Formats: sequence, C-alpha cells, structure tokens
Amino acid sequence: MPTFVYMTRCDGCGQCVDICPSDIMHIDKTYRRAYNIEPNFCWECYSCVKACPQHAIDVRGYADFAPLGHSVRVLREEEKGSISWKIKYRDGRVKEFTFPIRTTPWGSIQSPSDYAVPDANALGSVMLAHEPEALKVKTLPTLPPKKKV
Amino acid sequence: MFTSNPFADITVFLPPHVMQTYIGLMIFAVAVGTLADMLHKSSAKFFLRQWKKSKAAATRRVSGAETASLAVRTVLKEVITSGEFCNPMRRISHLLMFYGFLTYLTTTVVMIFVYPTAATPTIWPLLWNIGAVMVLIGGYWFFFFLRVNVAKEGHSPFRLVRADLFIVSLLASVTFALIWETVQTAGNLTATQIAFGVYILFTTVLFVGVPWSKFAHMFYKPAAAFQKRVEEANGSSNLPRPADVNNIVR
Repeated sequence: MPTFVYMTRCDGCGQCVDICPSDIMHIDKTYRRAYNIEPNFCWECYSCVKACPQHAIDVRGYADFAPLGHSVRVLREEEKGSISWKIKYRDGRVKEFTFPIRTTPWGSIQSPSDYAVPDANALGSVMLAHEPEALKVKTLPTLPPKKKV
Repeated sequence: MFTSNPFADITVFLPPHVMQTYIGLMIFAVAVGTLADMLHKSSAKFFLRQWKKSKAAATRRVSGAETASLAVRTVLKEVITSGEFCNPMRRISHLLMFYGFLTYLTTTVVMIFVYPTAATPTIWPLLWNIGAVMVLIGGYWFFFFLRVNVAKEGHSPFRLVRADLFIVSLLASVTFALIWETVQTAGNLTATQIAFGVYILFTTVLFVGVPWSKFAHMFYKPAAAFQKRVEEANGSSNLPRPADVNNIVR
C-alpha cells in the first residue's frame, strides 16, 4: 500500500521529505514536486499523508490484491489537536472517525536540545533525563532499595 | 541610469522594429509552448475528467453564482496573494517574483512598443528597474535558501536539475538585463553588445523553454485550486469533514 502524490496539488514544501521514516519521499528533478522513490519500501505509516498541508498525498493498494474503489483519507487539524479519518469501502459505505491527538498547542513541546545538558551524576539516577520536572509532577514512584541479605 | 529607457539606447546598433519582432516571436513561443505542454501532459483532459468525476460524486448542487464566487475566491487567494503556500517565506518570495516579473514584463513591452525613442516618461524605466530588483530579491532568496531540494534534501544550491530551468533562466535574464543597463550607461559599446547578447540569450531560453520548464504552472495551479474548492462545495471531496471539537487546552 504505497503512497503517491497528486502532482497538481503538491506545492513542493518538502514536509513529507522531512517526516518520512523510511526516507523514500523525495523531490522530483523535473517538476520539483514530492514523489515516492521506492514504493516497495513504504511502511504505510501515513506520516506524510497526515503532514501534507495540501492533502496531496494518498495511499493506494496494489491493484492485484487491494479492492478498487476504496479510499482512506485523513485530515490532521493542528489547531484543534485532532485527526479525522474517512474510510470508503468498495461497496460504497463510508465511515468517519475523529480522534484527539494532543491537548497542548502545536509546536509547544520542547525538543531535547531546548533542555539544559544533564549533570554526569544523573547517570546514577533511576530517572530518565529531566524527570520528574519535564513530566510536570513533583515526584515519581520508585521501587524501594533491595534489602541486603 | 534608472530613469532612462534602456531599449531606446540600443537603437544605435539595433533598429526598434527588430526588438518589436523579437517580442512578437516570444509571445508566439509562449503560446505554442503552453499548448504543446498541455497536449503532452494531457492537462486539459485531466481537469475535464476530474470535473466530470466530481460532478458525478456531488452530494449537493453548486449554483452558477456559487461557482462564480468560488472562482473569485480562487483568484483572490491562490492567484493574487499566493495563498496556497504554507511556508510564509516561500509565499513572500513568490509574491516578489510574481509581481516583479509582471511589472518588468509590462514595462518592457510598453518601452519597446510605445516609447522606442529616448523621449520616455521616467516612470516606465523606473518601474522596469523596480520590477527587476523585486525578481532578483525573491529569486535569489528562493534559489539559495528556499528551494525544497536545497532546504529539505540538503543539496548544494549549485546542483542544477531540469526543474531549475525556469528559475535559472529567469534570474540570468533579469541579472543580465541590469548588467546591460549598467554598462550601457557607462558608455562602453562592446561591453553593451556582449551584455545585451547574453540577456537576449537567457530571455529566449526562458520563453522558448516553456514546454520543458515549469512555466505552465501559472495556468494549471489555479485550475487545480479551483477544482479543490468546487469539490469541497459540492460534497464530492473524499477528505473527512473538519472536526467539531477543539482538544487544545489553553
């Protein structure tokens, strides 16, 4: 089920190139639009489909086994923190679902480089980097130390 | 320098009717090139097929007045203000190039056909220079920093591909137009002839290269944007409806 790009809709912003975990979304040398360079390696993760601001990327099954006429379309609304799906079956039935994906504003999550470099002593701690303050809690429950026999 | 008609000064070695014929040939080349491009890619067939598919899948009828309103909105957003770009930097760069090129092209035609002699109102050469500078600012910004293969793929800006034919010929044409104007003002005839020759060469590549460059996007991008609006309006779009709940806690 590889992705493909509607060339008339793509504006060549490159967001799919950035997000593709398989590094198969690249820029065409003739039209400077995105395209899938290796459909066999597509994970069908829908990352590029969700990220495309022009809704120019779609996924289709191989004609020899996937039913024709179906479609799976997705709309990510960053400002609402939601993702909606529209599933069209081959017999014409249509189902729509909407899911929340986050509650904090888009772009508000700090990247690891935005945090201060941890102290070397932190290696001896059972906490992960920047815990517990990054999780916005005062303490995290930990196991009691092992009793010496 | 910026207030005298550069095309009037070349009449010392090139009669005005030669440049007028050249402009006519370039308009012809763009018309033929666009038609050839449309036939080769079957763009008109594609949009007609999409239009029929959309009409067949429509869940509501879009009236003539509503269609006209969608067309006006497409012109206002996608054409006049390049609203389809999600990256504001690309939008600014595109607007600079678009309006700069229109100004530069219009003033070139006016100066060649209406004022072929030195008695040209100052506004025309001034606008010609402003248009050229706008194209160069937007164009070089795009070429070195915003081109997606440079910004996202990490390629060198000097690694040229066929998709660069339009931007490279546009930038070269406008750059050499200003170089030619400068050396002409300095009074060196040989340098003027060389710079003018290079300017004409790249301008010819720009307009004759239409079937191989992305010049035709001026015509099919608004068509695609209009089609998308019609699909949303008549209910034939296969995209989900927008969510009615906002999950962001502020």
